Amino acid sequence: MGFDLAFALSSVPTILGAVGTTFCVALVSCIGAAAIGFFFEMVRRAGGVAGLTTGFVIDFIRSTPVLAWLYFLYFVLPFYGIRLGSMTVGVMGLSLYYSGYLAEVFKAGIDAIPKGQSEAARALSLSRRDSVIHVIAPQMLRNIAAPLGNYFVSILKATPYLAVLAVPEMLGRAFDIASETYRYTEPLVVAGLIFLALALVISHGVKRLERRLLAVGAR
Amino acid sequence: MRTQSDSIVDIQGLNKWFGALHVLHDIDLTVASGARVVVCGPSGSGKSTLIRCINGLENYQKGTLRLAGTTLGLNARETAAARRQTGMVFQSFNLFPHLTVLSNCTLALRRVAGKGRGEAEDIAMAHLEKVRIPEKAMSYPGQLSGGQQQRVAIARALCLNPRIMLFDEPTSALDPEMIKEVLDVMVALARDGMTMVCVTHEMGFAREVADQVVFMDGGCILDRAPARDFFGSAGHPRSRLFLETILKH
Ligand SMILES: Nc1ncnc2c1ncn2[C@@H]1O[C@H](COP(=O)(O)OP(=O)(O)OP(=O)(O)O)[C@@H](O)[C@H]1O
Ligand SMILES: [Mg+2]
Repeated sequence: MGFDLAFALSSVPTILGAVGTTFCVALVSCIGAAAIGFFFEMVRRAGGVAGLTTGFVIDFIRSTPVLAWLYFLYFVLPFYGIRLGSMTVGVMGLSLYYSGYLAEVFKAGIDAIPKGQSEAARALSLSRRDSVIHVIAPQMLRNIAAPLGNYFVSILKATPYLAVLAVPEMLGRAFDIASETYRYTEPLVVAGLIFLALALVISHGVKRLERRLLAVGAR
Repeated sequence: MRTQSDSIVDIQGLNKWFGALHVLHDIDLTVASGARVVVCGPSGSGKSTLIRCINGLENYQKGTLRLAGTTLGLNARETAAARRQTGMVFQSFNLFPHLTVLSNCTLALRRVAGKGRGEAEDIAMAHLEKVRIPEKAMSYPGQLSGGQQQRVAIARALCLNPRIMLFDEPTSALDPEMIKEVLDVMVALARDGMTMVCVTHEMGFAREVADQVVFMDGGCILDRAPARDFFGSAGHPRSRLFLETILKH
């Protein structure tokens, strides 16, 4: 079974047809995971009962498989009258799951900021909110650009899990072609290459962001 | 009702613990409006802790600390309002590295004092001129020398128009050749009548501007005297010993 280039090329348009879905799901999940993860980390940092609980939730999320979250949201929630579309469930599942990891990334990024920074903000009477927005978050982003980019690529690579919810993402589409034609190599290679291209786009974007953040206030 | 309206800081029987560690013992200290108090003492004696209590960066467990007529720690909003009367300068500058010099100065003006951009920048530039560094307004802290950064930090603290300035060893992180430019700014500030509490071992500065020198050791104020007496022959044996050691360098 060799590699039939003509067949591979003929599968490209069909697979590319799903690239939009994959990219959108990944993008919205990245934003969702970052937003929830940042919120989690802020609550955890504030301490108290809410902080401890959130710490537990973060650890719990990180010790469960992502598929468990997808199944749970898709099959269990309807029992309680919450019926969501498969795309919504997919995005929610990925966002929640990766928020646990991103909370840890944010924690490391904030821990690396010298204590004097938030003290200076307090001494200037900035509110906690202004201190986070104007002092902490920008420096945190600068500290974590690289791992943040890695997790964004991980989220992209996790989109094929959504096949279990019948979300028409890219790898599923490639697999459909494969099972119809009994030729697996070409569609899977094509899908793999497109994933590679998307991952490169994401990491290039994050690198540019990192360079810009580092250029500001360069020493 | 405001009693003693001429004293900005009024500390009575102040005690502070870090967990089991008793770091401030029965501190009494009054800082009148326009006064310049220099605090000195060996490492670990509680100087930073004391000065950080004055603007509420640290809480305390016993005694009272009144700042601008407000007893700190009773009410969060009143404590925050009183803190707004203070400016603080740290040993390690603590400028925000991702913001330009100008933005470092305008941040609190805009977010705390609610000034518009133009007005905030005018105020900030006036203070940057006062510390003689207006040409660096568009630079980032990382592009400045230590002495320049500390002068910017002083300008930043002055922007909210504080009634009292707190300095915690503002020159100890500086190379010797930069100490003077920072001290000059502080002397000028004192000449302008700013109330100051300054932790420093720069005895030349203390001699020049302080009207009271406070010597701390082991969390207690062991000695306090008008600057002239402190450097004269009077005083506690421990502060004499301390003076001799630091004046030898
Ligand atoms: N956040 C903290 N938690 C626990 N202990 C602390 C804390 N900050 C200071 N201490 C302790 O309190 C004591 C007083 O410290 P402080 O920093 O006030 O001394 P200092 O006089 O400023 O010393 P230095 O000249 O070294 O700056 C020290 O024993 C110190 O270890
Ligand atoms: Mg200190």
